[in-house]
Amino acid sequence: MNFRKILSVCGWIAAVSALAGANAVADEPKPTPENTIHVQLAAPVPPQKFAKPPKFFISEVIDRSGNPQPMLVLRDRGGVFLDRQPIQITKETLEQSLKAADLLAADAASADLVLQVYVFHFGLAVGSGLDFFGKVEFSVMVKNLKTEESQEVQAKGTSIANGAFRKKNLQKNVQGNIEGALEDAVRNLLRGTQLKEAVAALLKNSPSAPAAAPSGEMASMQVNEDNSKSCKSKVEER
Amino acid sequence: MRSLIIVLVAALVLAPGMAAKDPEHVYKTAEAKHFTRVEGVELSPAFTDYLYAELRNELGKTKLFVQVIGEGEAVEDADAADSVVIEGVITEYKKGNRAADAIIGFGAGARSLKIDVNLTRRSDHQSLGEIKSHVKISPRWNEQTMAIAAAHQIAHEVKNGLKEKAKS
Repeated sequence: MNFRKILSVCGWIAAVSALAGANAVADEPKPTPENTIHVQLAAPVPPQKFAKPPKFFISEVIDRSGNPQPMLVLRDRGGVFLDRQPIQITKETLEQSLKAADLLAADAASADLVLQVYVFHFGLAVGSGLDFFGKVEFSVMVKNLKTEESQEVQAKGTSIANGAFRKKNLQKNVQGNIEGALEDAVRNLLRGTQLKEAVAALLKNSPSAPAAAPSGEMASMQVNEDNSKSCKSKVEER
Repeated sequence: MRSLIIVLVAALVLAPGMAAKDPEHVYKTAEAKHFTRVEGVELSPAFTDYLYAELRNELGKTKLFVQVIGEGEAVEDADAADSVVIEGVITEYKKGNRAADAIIGFGAGARSLKIDVNLTRRSDHQSLGEIKSHVKISPRWNEQTMAIAAAHQIAHEVKNGLKEKAKS
């Protein structure tokens, strides 16, 4: 008799556990066209000016974030997903900016320097709870294939945007925030003194020797300045 | 008589607003660096990143700089004299006591953060001022909220310091 009672209690516990598990699976957000965002910079980032501009080629972009769901940027409120992998977005953005400044080579053989990008963080990081804190962090291995020498350059971009109550605004803010952080990271790389020093060191003994401009001037691209400002102000609005 | 009253009222309404208007874009760029910390400061690694982001955000709001650039970004030689670099060290962090905060209150058991900030001119590394920031918040609030308060206070002090420097 006692054994039967215990058995029925165990049965109830098993049923409740199964229901809870099913609920947890149902709560897991799924990507749909409504909760998917397209991250792309409005305009390319102008790199710093080099005296003899080198040609770069991005050989590969590797995800080192250790994130099992790299396309899921926000789990709450039904989730927010990226439409492409972060490594793909990073590669496209870098190529777009290098191409606009005529610094992109068609292939590795014709390039002066080959870039291998390691993405450590892409998306939202822990914020105050009242806002969204976007962070994009990657490191680039700049390699001269002729001399086999290489140097590491690090880049980090951050952006803070308002939180939102409405789902539509939330997605808009998350998108603007990630775009702001990505733009900041790409600018940090392409206008950084680390890249300037790496290019100067790696192409020192090269016959074509494109050295970095001593002044650290920016490439004259009119397209970006206004657009980047407007993008930033949009993101930084609170 | 009526026109005189209108002129007087208009002067009273408009004058304070015009006098309080801040000088915009006095400096070309401001480079905020990641703040370092002395040994024994137990804050999460993410705190430094958040403080850096929040400080850049707050510096942008001061409207004192044409552009707030990221750490390690190049600046044109022509702009270097009108550019500032902001560096800082987190010297002390006390995580507070929630029980003391709940039972006693009035600042007892508060979480506190002390930061020493240095402002230098980019071209010649001349010091433009030193700021000592001390932030106290309730221990119930998280580290990021403390970073917001610290960044706001630092940006405010930077603005006041540089405005004084520009006047003299």
